[in-house]
Amino acid sequence: MTSLLPLLSTAQVTPGEVEAPLGPQVAFWVLAALTVVGAMLAVTRRNLIGAVMSLVASFFGLAGLYLLLSAHFLAAIQVLVYAGGIMVLFVFVVMVLNQEEAEPWALRHVFGLALGVAAAVYLAVRLGQLLWAAGPGGGELASRLRIREGAPPQGYGTVAAIGDYFFTEFLFPFEAVSILLVIAVVGAVVLARTTVAKATTVYELPPGEVDLRQPQHDARDEVLGVLGHHAQAANRPGGGH
Amino acid sequence: MLPLSYFNYYLALGAVLFAIGAVGVIARRNALIALMSVELMLNAANLTLVVFARAQHDMRGQAVAFLTIAVAAAEAAVGLAIVVGVFRNRRSTQLDDLTMMKH
Repeated sequence: MTSLLPLLSTAQVTPGEVEAPLGPQVAFWVLAALTVVGAMLAVTRRNLIGAVMSLVASFFGLAGLYLLLSAHFLAAIQVLVYAGGIMVLFVFVVMVLNQEEAEPWALRHVFGLALGVAAAVYLAVRLGQLLWAAGPGGGELASRLRIREGAPPQGYGTVAAIGDYFFTEFLFPFEAVSILLVIAVVGAVVLARTTVAKATTVYELPPGEVDLRQPQHDARDEVLGVLGHHAQAANRPGGGH
Repeated sequence: MLPLSYFNYYLALGAVLFAIGAVGVIARRNALIALMSVELMLNAANLTLVVFARAQHDMRGQAVAFLTIAVAAAEAAVGLAIVVGVFRNRRSTQLDDLTMMKH
């Protein structure tokens, strides 16, 4: 294992430490590979649907990693909210817009690419420095970060335990997030709705076509008409339901 | 489940994911890919939070990660609505085409 990432040399097993069981080890490397490959495909794919699906695979890998870290509730939420909710929203938007992408990486934006790669290298170097300084087993850094060995306590990562935090210590952020979600939903509806009237002026119709989006009469008339019909039916003797 | 020696790998994985997301935001021209890359970066931060929560046997990190997921969902909803709105007006999802504020 150590030969894969020589900088992160803390995988040496000290005598007092238990060697990791093989199953979780394999699971970690498989899930990590799935996550990274999925993420890279998501960023580099030309096809938007392909990119979204790669990101879904990446998020499933992350959910598996959360399971390995005994965060069971978060793993479920990751699959439900990310893979099941947010990415479906992305798929919807990709399909609604239905746009071919001309060129995924703009050549004149070599500057942006260089900046991104520089950021990646910077992160890797800083992380390597940190881990190098920490030394095998975490050393002094581990004690400063209050890192504890061994299995987590009973009930760690369950819904009940996380719920305890949300209704005591994290009550205010919890409520704030609920308000934020309401604002986001209303905001998304407002943003997506107000442009409907303008959209008819952007699209060009072939000559002779009737623009079905342009209402031929006010929609309110229709509603009022239906209401009026019902009112008449109710007013007729014996005509009510 | 894994001993302490693996936490570094988890942190490295989080850094790699964040870097990939950063490259996507900076280098890609498509607004949807940029939004997806932002999601990726949020996930990388989440992974780091969960790793430290597990390392300290403290569930506060998981609680914060949960809140991050909620904020990410809100961000995705509003961001996609903006992309759809821009597309309706300008027939494009390329970030390069949004130069209105320049002039």
